[in-house]
Amino acid sequence: MKPRRRSILAMLDDSVRWTGMPARIADQISGDPDRKHRPMRWLPIWPIAFSCALLMTSLAWPAALEGVSLAVVISVMVGFCGGVFAVIPGISMNGPLGKSSLQDDEREASLRKDSFLCCLGLLAALNCLGQPLIMILSHWQHWQVPQIVSVVTSAFMLNASLLGCLPTLYASWNLPQLPRE
Amino acid sequence: MSLHNRISVFRAERGISRRELAEAVGVNNQTIGYLERGDYKPSLELALKIARHFGVAVEMIFSLDRFEPIAMSLMRTGEDK
Repeated sequence: MKPRRRSILAMLDDSVRWTGMPARIADQISGDPDRKHRPMRWLPIWPIAFSCALLMTSLAWPAALEGVSLAVVISVMVGFCGGVFAVIPGISMNGPLGKSSLQDDEREASLRKDSFLCCLGLLAALNCLGQPLIMILSHWQHWQVPQIVSVVTSAFMLNASLLGCLPTLYASWNLPQLPRE
Repeated sequence: MSLHNRISVFRAERGISRRELAEAVGVNNQTIGYLERGDYKPSLELALKIARHFGVAVEMIFSLDRFEPIAMSLMRTGEDK
């Protein structure tokens, strides 16, 4: 049997549906809070990975900043910070921990506690190790001001990304998908 | 140690939805789903509320040991009769 030809409008509808945006908007306008705060298993990885990559680049590739003026470094870092900080609140508010903690039941409160405990524990450990390491590296490698600005800003971005995204990531991976009733 | 429960059996028998049970015991309806799947262990307070809602003892719904399959219980009841 010959397949029926689809109209351009039908194909356009399919392409819009394929993006997932209609379903997401339907969830947003529905009154059900559970549908608004869905697990986000992959999106929170991006700001964390980007901040990690930026910090690694600042630490491992100081030659890239040689001859670059402080104003340029500050402008680029402010741009990166703006981008990352624009994404983090969206991830936090739309993730499973996005609703007010006052509305949590005992399972959600326990999940929130575990998520923040994991996140803050990891942040504390990373900062305890990272701060002395950065001080030692800056002393040994005789860092100039642009590199110090770049490393400190990217370390701040990594901290902010972890604080903003890691609890959502932890909670999302600890929420198995439930079949609809 | 795993905690087994028969919430879904009681719910099906009484014909109530997850949402209705969740509203009755004051939790999110997803929590009932996770309880039924064994992905979440309830607090004593929640277990007692669920048992009270169904009007049975808490041991009828929650157990540390696996519950006997319903088919086996029915077979044994038939044999006894």
